[in-house]
Amino acid sequence: MAVEVRRAVPRPALRPRREREEEVLVWPDLLFPEFISAVLFLFTFILLSVFINAPLLNQANPNITPNPSKAPWYFLNLQELLLHMDKAWAGVLLPGLFLLFLAVIPYIDRSNEGQGVWFGTQYSVRITLVTAFYSMAITWLLVLFDAGKFERLTRFFPTCSEDAQHHWPPCLTGGANGLGGARELYTRLRFSIGDFDWPQDWRFPLPKLGGFSELHFKNLHLWGDMNINVAAVMVEQVIPLVIVFGLAALLVYGLFRIGWVRTTRDVMIVLFTGAMSSYLALTIVGSFFRGAGQALIPPTDLRVDCGTVPAPPGCP
Amino acid sequence: MAIYEEPGRPRNWQERLAIWRDRLYDRLFHNYIWRSIFRSGYPNTPRNQMLVVATNIFLHLHPTRIHRTHAKVTHTYCLGGLTFFMFIILTVTGVLLMFYYVPDVNRAWQDIAALETNVRFGLLMRNLHRWTAHGMVILVFLHMMRVFYTGAYKPPREFNWVVGVMLLFLTLLMSFTGYLLPWDQLAIWAITVGHGIGGSTPYLGDEVQQVLFGGFEIGQNALIRFYTLHVLGLPLLSAILMAVHFWRVRRDGGLARPL
Repeated sequence: MAVEVRRAVPRPALRPRREREEEVLVWPDLLFPEFISAVLFLFTFILLSVFINAPLLNQANPNITPNPSKAPWYFLNLQELLLHMDKAWAGVLLPGLFLLFLAVIPYIDRSNEGQGVWFGTQYSVRITLVTAFYSMAITWLLVLFDAGKFERLTRFFPTCSEDAQHHWPPCLTGGANGLGGARELYTRLRFSIGDFDWPQDWRFPLPKLGGFSELHFKNLHLWGDMNINVAAVMVEQVIPLVIVFGLAALLVYGLFRIGWVRTTRDVMIVLFTGAMSSYLALTIVGSFFRGAGQALIPPTDLRVDCGTVPAPPGCP
Repeated sequence: MAIYEEPGRPRNWQERLAIWRDRLYDRLFHNYIWRSIFRSGYPNTPRNQMLVVATNIFLHLHPTRIHRTHAKVTHTYCLGGLTFFMFIILTVTGVLLMFYYVPDVNRAWQDIAALETNVRFGLLMRNLHRWTAHGMVILVFLHMMRVFYTGAYKPPREFNWVVGVMLLFLTLLMSFTGYLLPWDQLAIWAITVGHGIGGSTPYLGDEVQQVLFGGFEIGQNALIRFYTLHVLGLPLLSAILMAVHFWRVRRDGGLARPL
């Protein structure tokens, strides 16, 4: 028989521990781990330096271009992005926006929730994991798409010849393969609406905006001309950026709808994790999967030091 | 029955050993010179330990007490401190490397090659410099992720996070400028890629190339600019920002805690 116990006097609240009682002394409780970790790292790096030598290739020679030329590894993600979109966006604007986003995080998320503890919000661990997986998987899929690995999916497009005009339905020039990357929407896709042919007729003079057009944003793809080349702008800027920001927005919205993302802090976790994961995935692709001519190759076929004289075996 | 024994002659060899041990300790650590450097002995009481942390120039970056949770290694993994430690190793090895290196396109590569073969510990110093530089880049990223996932950028620490982002950018620039200095095929072609990326800046591409790389190709101008930035400009700027960064950690109340 269940007996309901009712206390006559409410249980006294635990005496709140005073701040001072929760504290430990820096000497030894912080200095000791700091010292040990510093010693450990120093010895690890000395050991590393004893056994692995820093690379020193042949003296610089501006006449011999190694193929591939690669940036330092922490910029290989940008070099990888260059293969997929307008170079100004890949090399400067997107990384700039990323740094700007990092800097303004605390001014967007001004709440105090989850402060000072690992993964402070309710679902933060799972949204971090889901976002990391989502971003890396999609980055890989997009890289594979631009490498033409999914061209079979678009073989339903009919083929057409280079010089023919007035195409309908839309068709692909240059062979029976499907789309081998987003840029082929510009180079190979042909269609016409009336007399209006894609892509050559889609050029419009730049509207004069009080001298603004004379600024010549020369590096933004084909913006510096007197004309805007709609097809090139679509392929180099609109489609990549819509994919980058659209997929991020889609993830945030999806996680919000299923109730995992609830606060601004959660949104920041998704965006930060997504950006860092894509950065990591792109770095890995750029480091280990890009061979001569920036072709996508397995890491086992990688040759990075073809700039030496004489070229090592396996180099062109 | 004696309540206490007068100190007299040692009765056995253990007591004799203890006396000699104490005398040796006195000679080593209680002499005039040692005491002129370290004014007090080993701080073996909590009061003296706090006093040392508060008054020693190298330790006074720390508070004297921290919250229990922050003493756990798994809270910070010492990542910020280790990043700073990498910076110190890089400074020491970098100064040593500067003795043997002249930033001249005709000499730079020979200097590095000679450093590796003719200079005692030259190869070790260069390796250490290289690998700790990579380590610092990785640690800076890990530190940023630690701060982010523990929500430590929240008020009142907003601006210190911004300083941290600047330090991240400076760390990348320091590593990037150092990449050119060996003047080998790896160096100039990697910097050539960076040169192209810099040149793709909208509207300011040519100016970026002129200011950062000193021209439209990687040559002597780029080398001397990168060298100066690498050994002087960027470390100085970083040191200043680091001072601000550490100072503000203290001013903002130490590490973040749940409110």
